[in-house]
Amino acid sequence: MSSTISLACIIDDDTMYVSLIRRIILAKNLCQNLMVFHNGKSAFDYFQVMTSSIDEKNIPEIIFLDINMPVMNGWEFLERYTSIENKLKKASALYVVSSSINPVDINRAKNNNAVKDYIVKPVTIADLESIFSRKHN
Amino acid sequence: MLQNELFNNVIRDFNAGYWELHTNPDTEIWSLKFYEQIGFSSKDLKATLAYFLEHLIHKDDIEVFRDNFLNYRKNTIHFKQHIKILTKSGTYKLFRCATNNELPVNIKSETKLVFFFEIKLEPNQDITKDNFYYKETAQMTATGSWYVDFQEKKSFWDFETRRILEYPDDYLPSLKDSANYYAADSRQQAADLFFNCAMVGTPFNTEIKMVTANQRIFWVRAIGKPVYNENKEIIGIRGVFQDIDEIKKKEIRLQRSMDIITSQNSRLFNFAHIVSHNLRSHTSNLSLLVQLIEDIDNPEEKIELVNEVKQISYSLNTTIEHLNEIVAIHTNKDQERKKIRFQDSLDLVTSGIGQMIAYSKTTIKSDFTKLEEIDYIPAYLESILLNLITNAIKYKHTDRDPVIHIKTYIKDNHKYLEVIDNGKGIDMKLFKDKVFGMYKTFHYNKDAVGIGLFLTKNQVESLNGTIAVESEVDAGTKFIIEF
Repeated sequence: MSSTISLACIIDDDTMYVSLIRRIILAKNLCQNLMVFHNGKSAFDYFQVMTSSIDEKNIPEIIFLDINMPVMNGWEFLERYTSIENKLKKASALYVVSSSINPVDINRAKNNNAVKDYIVKPVTIADLESIFSRKHN
Repeated sequence: MLQNELFNNVIRDFNAGYWELHTNPDTEIWSLKFYEQIGFSSKDLKATLAYFLEHLIHKDDIEVFRDNFLNYRKNTIHFKQHIKILTKSGTYKLFRCATNNELPVNIKSETKLVFFFEIKLEPNQDITKDNFYYKETAQMTATGSWYVDFQEKKSFWDFETRRILEYPDDYLPSLKDSANYYAADSRQQAADLFFNCAMVGTPFNTEIKMVTANQRIFWVRAIGKPVYNENKEIIGIRGVFQDIDEIKKKEIRLQRSMDIITSQNSRLFNFAHIVSHNLRSHTSNLSLLVQLIEDIDNPEEKIELVNEVKQISYSLNTTIEHLNEIVAIHTNKDQERKKIRFQDSLDLVTSGIGQMIAYSKTTIKSDFTKLEEIDYIPAYLESILLNLITNAIKYKHTDRDPVIHIKTYIKDNHKYLEVIDNGKGIDMKLFKDKVFGMYKTFHYNKDAVGIGLFLTKNQVESLNGTIAVESEVDAGTKFIIEF
C-alpha cells in the first residue's frame, strides 16, 4: 500500500503508545512524515505559528489527539485550536484518541464539529489503515 | 381582566370585609362588607387607622395590632391575628385578621390588603382560654417571648424564655448585660440585629448561639420585630427565642458527614479515573504491541518488540504500586496516633534526603514554637513533610537556590502546618482544580509523576484534615494543612 498522506500528527504524552504507532506507520508505510507533541501546549504553539505560514506542507492532514495530558489537556487544546483553525491554510482531519470510555468524554468529542471521530484505545492496525486510506481534503 | 375577575370571585368566596392599603399618603379604604360586619355605616365613622385604634378595636388588642399593621405596611411582613372590634350594638365581635398571604397562590394583588374574617364563638367558648393555649404552645415548642422597652429601658422575659436560658423564675433580665446572653462569637451578630431593628425597623429571623445562666452554649432561633407607638415611632422590640439546639446540632453533624462523603466520593471518582485511564492505557499499549508482533514477519524485529513488553510491564507495575499506596492509606487510617514532635519528624525526613538537600543547596527554616507536637500517625506526618519538601526542591526556581519555610501554629482552636517555598510556583488560573489530582503535572520536568500531592491530600483527609494551596508563578508556593 502506498501512502497518500504526507504528514500526520500525534499529540499524546504516552511515549510507549507513540513509539508503537510510529512503528506501525513505518511498517505499513501509512504516511511519509510524522510529528509528535507530548502535550496540548506545545502542539498549540506549533499551530499558532502555522497560522502565519503560507506553506501548507507543514500542516498535517491528520491529527490524533489524546485527552489526558499534562500541562494542557486535549480539551483545552481543542478549544484553542478551533479558535485559530480557520486561519490555517489547510484543514486537518482531527481524531480524538483516548483510553477513556467515559460517555461524557465520548459525547463531548462527537459534539465538537472540529472532531472527525472518537477512537477508543487500544487502536487496531486495521483502524489506522482505514483512517489513513480515507480521502482527506 | 381575568386576574380581576378571579380576584373578585375570591373576595366573594371569602365573605369577609377588608381594607385596601394605599400609600402617598398612607390611607386605608374600608370595604362595604367591613362596615356591614360591624353594623356601622360609612357616615358614622372615620376610616383611618387612628380612629380605628382609638374607637373600634378592643384595648387589649391595640398594641399587637398596631405593630403587626405597621410592620405589614412598612416591611411587608404578613401577619395573622385575632382581634375584637366594637359593633354598633355596643358589643365586641371576634375577627381573624389576615393579609395577602391568605390569597390563593394564583391570585396576585398589587395592593396590600387586610382581611377581617368573622369568628362565630361557641356559647361556652371563652376568649381568655387563649392564655392557656399560649402557655401550652410555648412549652411544647420551647419558644419563649421577650420584649425590650426602649422608653423604660427594660427587658421583659416570659416564663419560657427564663426556662430555656436556665434562669430562675424571679430573674430580671438586664439591658446592660444583654451581650452576656449571647455566645462570644455571636455577640456582634446580635448587636447588629438589634441595632438595625431599633434604628430602621428591620425585623430579624435568624439562628444564633446563646449562653444560659449555667454557661451552656446552645443554638436559638431568634425572631424580633419593632414595636411602634401611636406616632409610628419605634419604642421597643418584641420577639421570641426558640431552643433549636438539638435540630441545629443534627444539621451541623449532617453537614459534616456530607462533607466527608463528598470528599470520599471525589477520591472514589479518582480511583475510577485511575482504573479507566491509567490501567487501560497500559493494556491498550500491550494489545497494540501484540498486534504489531503478529503482523511483522522479520524475526529480528519481532524479538526487538518483545523487549518492549518489559517496558510496559514495568509501567503497569508502577501504576499498581501507586494504587497500593492509596489503598494502604485507607487501611492505615485506623493505625494508632502517637504524640509526635514536628522537629523529630522533620529531622527524620531531612536526614533521609540529606543528599538531595545538599546537592540542590536547599535551606530549610523551621519554626515549631507555637505548636511543638501533635497526635498523628507518625508515618503520615513524615510522608507529608517528605512530599512537600521534595516537591519544593524538584520545582525550584531556576534563578535561585530553594528556601523552604516550615511552621506550625494554632488559630481558632485549629492546628496548622505551613510549608512555603520560593520555587517556580504553579499557575493557579490553569491548575486550581487539578493540583491534588492523580497524575496531574504542571511543569515540563521529565521526572514529574503527579502522585505525591495526591497521596498527601489522601493522607491528610483520611485523618479528617484539609490541605489548601496558594501559589504564584515565579514567586513560590504555600501549602497549608489543617489537622
